[in-house]
Amino acid sequence: MSLEISVVALGLIVLLADLWLPAERKRMLGYSAAAALLLLFLNTFTSHCSCSLAEGPDNMTSAGMFIQDGLAVFFKRFFLLAAVLVLVMAVEFSDRIGAGVSEYYSLIVFALAGMLFAASANDFVMLFAAIELITITFYVLTSFQRGRVRSLEAGVKYLILGALSSAFMVYGIALIWGTTGKFNFQELAQVAGKFAANRVFLFGVVFFLVGLGFKIAAFPFQMWTPDVYEGAPTPTTAFLAVGSKATGFVLLLRFLFTAIPDVAMHWNKLLIIVSGITILYGNLCALPQRNLKRILGYSSIAHAGYVLLGVAALTTAGESAVLYYLAGYLFTVLAAFAVIALVMRHLNSEDLAGLAGLNQRSPLLAATLTLAMVSLAGIPPLAGFFGKFLLLKAVIEQGPANHGYYCLAFTALAGVIISLYYYFGVIRAIYWSKETPDLSPIEISKPMKMAVCFCMAGMFYLGLFPGALINYAAQVVKSLK
Amino acid sequence: MKLEALPWILLFLPLCAAGIITLFTLRSQKLSAGLSIGAIVSGFVLAIALIKSGGWEAREFSLNWLSIGNLNVDFGLRLDALSLMMLLIVTGVGSVIHIYSYGYMHEDEGFSRFFACLSLFTFSMLGIVLANNFLQLFIFWELVGVSSYLLIGFWFDKASAADASKKAFLTNRIGDFGFMLGILTVFAVVGSLNFAVIQEQFKANPALMGGSATLAGLLIFCGAMGKSAQFPLHVWLPDAMEGPTPVSALIHAATMVAAGVYMLCRVVFLFTPEALTVISWIGGFTALLAALIAVQQNDIKRILAYSTLSQLGYMVMAVGLGGAGAAMFHLTTHAFFKALLFLGAGSVIHAMHHEQDIWKMGALRKKMPVTFWTFLVGTLALCGVPPFSGFYSKDAILAQAWHAHNYPLFVIAVSVAVLTAFYMFRLFFVVWVGDVRSAEAGHAHESPGVMIWPLRALVVLALFGGVLGINEIFAAQFSAAEHAEASEHGLTLLQRIAEPFTNAPVAAGIGIIATLIGFLTARGLYATAKSDPLTSKLGWMSRAMANRFYFDEIYEATVIRIHDLAGTISNWIDSWIIEGLCIGVVRGGTDLTGRALRLVQTGNLQTYAFLFVLGVAVVLWLTLGK
Repeated sequence: MSLEISVVALGLIVLLADLWLPAERKRMLGYSAAAALLLLFLNTFTSHCSCSLAEGPDNMTSAGMFIQDGLAVFFKRFFLLAAVLVLVMAVEFSDRIGAGVSEYYSLIVFALAGMLFAASANDFVMLFAAIELITITFYVLTSFQRGRVRSLEAGVKYLILGALSSAFMVYGIALIWGTTGKFNFQELAQVAGKFAANRVFLFGVVFFLVGLGFKIAAFPFQMWTPDVYEGAPTPTTAFLAVGSKATGFVLLLRFLFTAIPDVAMHWNKLLIIVSGITILYGNLCALPQRNLKRILGYSSIAHAGYVLLGVAALTTAGESAVLYYLAGYLFTVLAAFAVIALVMRHLNSEDLAGLAGLNQRSPLLAATLTLAMVSLAGIPPLAGFFGKFLLLKAVIEQGPANHGYYCLAFTALAGVIISLYYYFGVIRAIYWSKETPDLSPIEISKPMKMAVCFCMAGMFYLGLFPGALINYAAQVVKSLK
Repeated sequence: MKLEALPWILLFLPLCAAGIITLFTLRSQKLSAGLSIGAIVSGFVLAIALIKSGGWEAREFSLNWLSIGNLNVDFGLRLDALSLMMLLIVTGVGSVIHIYSYGYMHEDEGFSRFFACLSLFTFSMLGIVLANNFLQLFIFWELVGVSSYLLIGFWFDKASAADASKKAFLTNRIGDFGFMLGILTVFAVVGSLNFAVIQEQFKANPALMGGSATLAGLLIFCGAMGKSAQFPLHVWLPDAMEGPTPVSALIHAATMVAAGVYMLCRVVFLFTPEALTVISWIGGFTALLAALIAVQQNDIKRILAYSTLSQLGYMVMAVGLGGAGAAMFHLTTHAFFKALLFLGAGSVIHAMHHEQDIWKMGALRKKMPVTFWTFLVGTLALCGVPPFSGFYSKDAILAQAWHAHNYPLFVIAVSVAVLTAFYMFRLFFVVWVGDVRSAEAGHAHESPGVMIWPLRALVVLALFGGVLGINEIFAAQFSAAEHAEASEHGLTLLQRIAEPFTNAPVAAGIGIIATLIGFLTARGLYATAKSDPLTSKLGWMSRAMANRFYFDEIYEATVIRIHDLAGTISNWIDSWIIEGLCIGVVRGGTDLTGRALRLVQTGNLQTYAFLFVLGVAVVLWLTLGK
């Protein structure tokens, strides 16, 4: 748990340092926090964390609430990396945030702490505390641009709908505890089979899943996504799209496959329907959009649907495909939001027209955004292609047992085809816009340039040499059982 | 550094150069040229290092590119006598031509782009040479097509260049289509694309392919027909001369067009006797046809282009006659002297301010002495005069036909030799001897050193290429028995010089006589001619030759007509039935759904909360409803 403690301490240090740092040095504060997190990230490869990959349940602490297995380590690395990139982005964005930049940094670090706890959560109490830590920091992060009505509106919407979903979730937890008397996932797994027909228990499970569905923005709990994505400051949106969504998925994987595996086995129908509709809804709604952040909001709904393909397959192949896909998604989405944060810095809305002439203003950013779109659309040789390939493969392998899976794979493909239209619309806006009002070159700071190039390298690496991560993911998901 | 890394570095250096030039150094001419030249020269050095360290032994380096479940895709390189020799040719001749280009392209606006394209081409060509499986070979095969397209159309603002590049690409694609079908046929039967594995399987069971063997062989030959410009796909090569002259030298004389022959030699074990007969006749026919056309061409580069076609026909014929070693030998020497001739022609064109008509030249001998001497050596080598390199390799092919007792093809080969000497000395007398025929020819002056030194380097190879023992290396590759013999007591230099006369004296004698006849006829007709005397003497025959036997017109009237018609029909179907009816309905429906769904997203919080709870109710009903 030393990692989590270090991260919380880092958040506090950032807050305290703000008291003494002169205003012009605040920029360095963000970079230092990012550097510290990068060190912690690298440390996961050297210290005890990596040896705990070996076997799961031995590494439990705090009376089984906290588990440090392969899956937890995978997601902790994921969250740390995401937070580093988001912090770099936040520094770049700081002039638009205005007052309280240091609080913004520290809130990102606290949200990260919540995600790290969530990755290790092994019972409902820990899980709920972690989720609330994330959600409440995000309420603040979303409405951080106090001078901007859209940001405040997004914050309020997220707060109210988030509270609603938390209410469902905590109600669900109460019902599960009420019927089984178990909080711990392993203990629950031993008795869950007996309750498979108990309606009150199932009621609780559904309510709990509603809460997670809200986090990952799956249909029908996705309504908040476009509004919040559009209104929130861009770094927040990026963290929301990557970190918060991945938290939902790690908890979903743990809950379905560790806590109630016997029950989950019968739920493929529900998962197939939810996954299919989520894909179609996200892609169809994105079609008429002109606002880049809303497009990415809907696209993130669609991608939640894609990732749910892997969950719906209910196999280890599907689970490892989920991890692979999320890793590719991390690089792709953060690259896209980094470009948006830089290009749209001085514009009031993120309309597609703002991208006009980007290839002349900054070839690097134009290339990055193009690659990100191509990867999101799932075109080889980028990460997005391989992720989709693995997910579809996992789903189709289940086809002979249940023909619904074939329909699901077909739906996913239809969704991919629809999505090509709006992803390429973005590319078209960059290179073939008629009106080019502003052709001034865009300045990019060194760390930001590095972050952007890193994301690009990540997209290419995962697309061209998928072997290493596939093996790692396959090894990691063993700890779910 | 580990030795395994060497071939990979060699392969990817030019690609890196191309990438860096395109992305960063387009504005700096010196840097771009330096990168490109540096990449290929280091490639040459690395190739020598590879041969020094491992000899001519066959070895493979492969990386597992990706493996998912049962699907394994390898990316592998194969080194053996064949590929190592080819490596030397591509990087060696390539280096010389790269350096020459620095002088030739000096004033061109697209200087850096030119070197980027050259490096891309080098990468693709090295990929073909090093490939150890059909898939990889095919990928690089297409890359060569692309880079050749870029280079032929380098001066794309000239309509003829743009058309020529299109023509080259499309004609190649036709051959490649057959090639791909051939690869798929082999894969379907053998289940592997790796050359070594396929060869093993053929060795174990020669009747492996059964009835489809001949068909598969001929389909694969289609690929070579496109790349090596064999009849009936030969029409693209003369037009390709629209590209800058160094490109003609590198791509359309020394390397790319040799790729087809190289590929045939690489998979020569695949071909059945029937397939080989077809191959040998197509090669022989192409050789004769192209030589006849060359006799009545007036453009210096086109004469050389048809001569290239004719020599490629020789090589293909040799493969068909079972002489893959002879074919590769001729490929090697041809790369030397044809590159020399093209670069010499380039030097002339440079001096004449881009005038290419030979009847406007004349008496350049005194104005451009170095180019003159080097060009003479190239001509003698091409005509097969002993002891120049071309004599040895051409004799190897004649001997192959003689030993195979295929006298019709032997006669064709000899007539081609006569014609070769005739048209080359026609070119020689008109350009270098005779009177000054135009003002440009009067003002011509020798090219700068950066263009002259590459010529001198190639002269050495064109002179001695025949007696360096190259043929023994190839012979070792293609028959294991001779290998042992050759390695035990390699021939001495003297034996090598005399080899044609000891091996097949009749063929060698007839070859020399043929060359002599060609030379004497050309001297008689052209030594002092002001205009072409043959035009009136041959009448319609001359017009047919000058018009390339109307192949372009025939294709225009048949293939292209039919194509256009089919294109018009399918365009109509596409725009009305597919686009209008099928896609229109789907697109409209999707668009409408998108717009309708957007209305749900009102931005109203109450609606959101209501829909949220409704969603919970639906999920509950789905799971617990029954």
